[in-house]
Amino acid sequence: MRYYDLITPEGTKDYLFTECAQRRSVEHRIEQIFKSRGFSEIITPVLEFFDVFSHKSAYFPQEQMYKFADSKGRLLVIRPDSTMPIARVVATRLKDAPLPLRLYYNQCVYANTPQLKGRSDQVAQTGIELIGSDSKLADLEVISTALEVLEACAYDTFSLELGDIAVFKELMNQLHTDEETQEQIRSLIEFKNYPALNDLLDTIGDSETVRAVKMLPRLFGGEEVFAKAAHYFKGERMQEILNNLRSVYEDAVRMCGNGKVTIDLGMVNRTDYYTGIIIKGYLSGYGDEVLSGGRYDKLIAEFGYDVPATGFAVHVDAISQVYAKHDPQVSAHSDVLIFAGEGCEVQAISRAKKLRAEGLIVELAMQDSVEDAREYARQRGIAKLVIINDETATEIISG
Amino acid sequence: MEKPLRIALTKGRLEKDTIGLLESLGFDCTAVREKGRKLILPIPDANLEVVLAKAADVITYVEHGVCDMGVVGKDTIMEMNGKFYELVDLGFGKCKFALAGKKGDDFYAGIGVKTIATKYPNVARAFFEAKGMDVEIVKIEGSVELAPLLELANGIVDIVETGSTLRENGLEVFEDVAPISARLIVNTVSLKLRQQQIEALIEKIEAQLNK
Repeated sequence: MRYYDLITPEGTKDYLFTECAQRRSVEHRIEQIFKSRGFSEIITPVLEFFDVFSHKSAYFPQEQMYKFADSKGRLLVIRPDSTMPIARVVATRLKDAPLPLRLYYNQCVYANTPQLKGRSDQVAQTGIELIGSDSKLADLEVISTALEVLEACAYDTFSLELGDIAVFKELMNQLHTDEETQEQIRSLIEFKNYPALNDLLDTIGDSETVRAVKMLPRLFGGEEVFAKAAHYFKGERMQEILNNLRSVYEDAVRMCGNGKVTIDLGMVNRTDYYTGIIIKGYLSGYGDEVLSGGRYDKLIAEFGYDVPATGFAVHVDAISQVYAKHDPQVSAHSDVLIFAGEGCEVQAISRAKKLRAEGLIVELAMQDSVEDAREYARQRGIAKLVIINDETATEIISG
Repeated sequence: MEKPLRIALTKGRLEKDTIGLLESLGFDCTAVREKGRKLILPIPDANLEVVLAKAADVITYVEHGVCDMGVVGKDTIMEMNGKFYELVDLGFGKCKFALAGKKGDDFYAGIGVKTIATKYPNVARAFFEAKGMDVEIVKIEGSVELAPLLELANGIVDIVETGSTLRENGLEVFEDVAPISARLIVNTVSLKLRQQQIEALIEKIEAQLNK
């Protein structure tokens, strides 16, 4: 039998020094934004019952969840997402709390990703959930928070994209096909597979709705998208959805200037608990979205508490990677190394304490000789070596 | 001038067909035609940078966003899957996935679990999964046609172009699995952050293909 005691499982890694510093700095920066808006932190367990994620409307493919059984034989998962557990908490312990609830989290999620693709199974995420309001202001609050996060994290260009899952759902209402075909259509739209989408829709026949569905993945970009959409999308409900999205888009543009906010009506996320406006954030320098979220008004009701909600999650590791490319900072090193001569340990420790009170980072040398301590200070880049011997302290600026 | 778009091409026939397509659009592809051993090559007047790679690597590079676009066969896309936009069917590199076996055999007869030899285990598995059929899949690296002849497998799932290799070895197609052709794929973030550049190129390509 092989013995795997020296490596970590595929899709995981150890974070060392600079990587930690970068990740923490990203987390801290985002956390400040959340806190300043009155969001409170919530930590949910890494382990959850499988049932939390197996509701009908939440789409977490079972093959992507890490699962095992507890001591009573019940199925557990390592959480693949933080929104579902938070919905569970809101529907139980927070059921009587005054609304809206402003919650944020900063914790890892886990998915069994395809191997050898260079993707991680453990993803550090931070995000917000704004629970208890279906108003436009709630959507704008989430969008402006997302914009602030992207702005704080971008070195180069960033962009926030808006869509509305209701557009797709309304088209599917008009199309009258079975659920399996709907899922096929959704997936082809998600991956903007124009040729295959056309082939599939041609088998259904030709109608105004079919033509609209064919156009859906192509409707992304700026303001001009709405004019095109008006041409293809008919019906009162559809107009209502598009007008609402347009007014949110216009307000978002007013908040951050043109070119930073875009529209993609063909945004049809796989996690289909979304019911309204959905968002995705991109940073140049990373090949996948770094932020995603949206409105999920029916999710918490599945846990027995009917309350509207919206929010987003930020992919902290992705942003840290972008940081690492632009700013490969060296890890922070100590300012002073104190070498204690024989019998002077207590004196050295109290000297270190004094220096730390002045705000310096101070290490005690564990070497047996001054020469070894000096060599260590040189390797570590510690500028100052203090030698304490028989009541006298010699300070040496090491070379 | 904007940063060039980086496009990964599958080395070999798809690369030549794509270069042919780009030349028909009026772009000067001399640097790619006379590439020598270089792996990254410019097409300055299209503002493109061509990367030559094996099919599966084209998908990996595009998925990670280190290449904005790629040209790769539907066969590789079906086998690898992944997250990217599949915008255009380029029409060339046409062939199909098919289920084949010894001529005259009734593949579906009997109640035993069939063994399938293939270079494309994911494609084969998905095909039989959709039929709700259990099969044993054996991955073969070289000439898959050997497996039914040596009686290792009841059938093969493989790419069929003309079918002449099958015929010469006493095999025949039982059933088509899926049509294949070259696709233009695009990284999901590139399409959004560099929409105008990419859409302009795609419009030209689509116009040429529809001629």
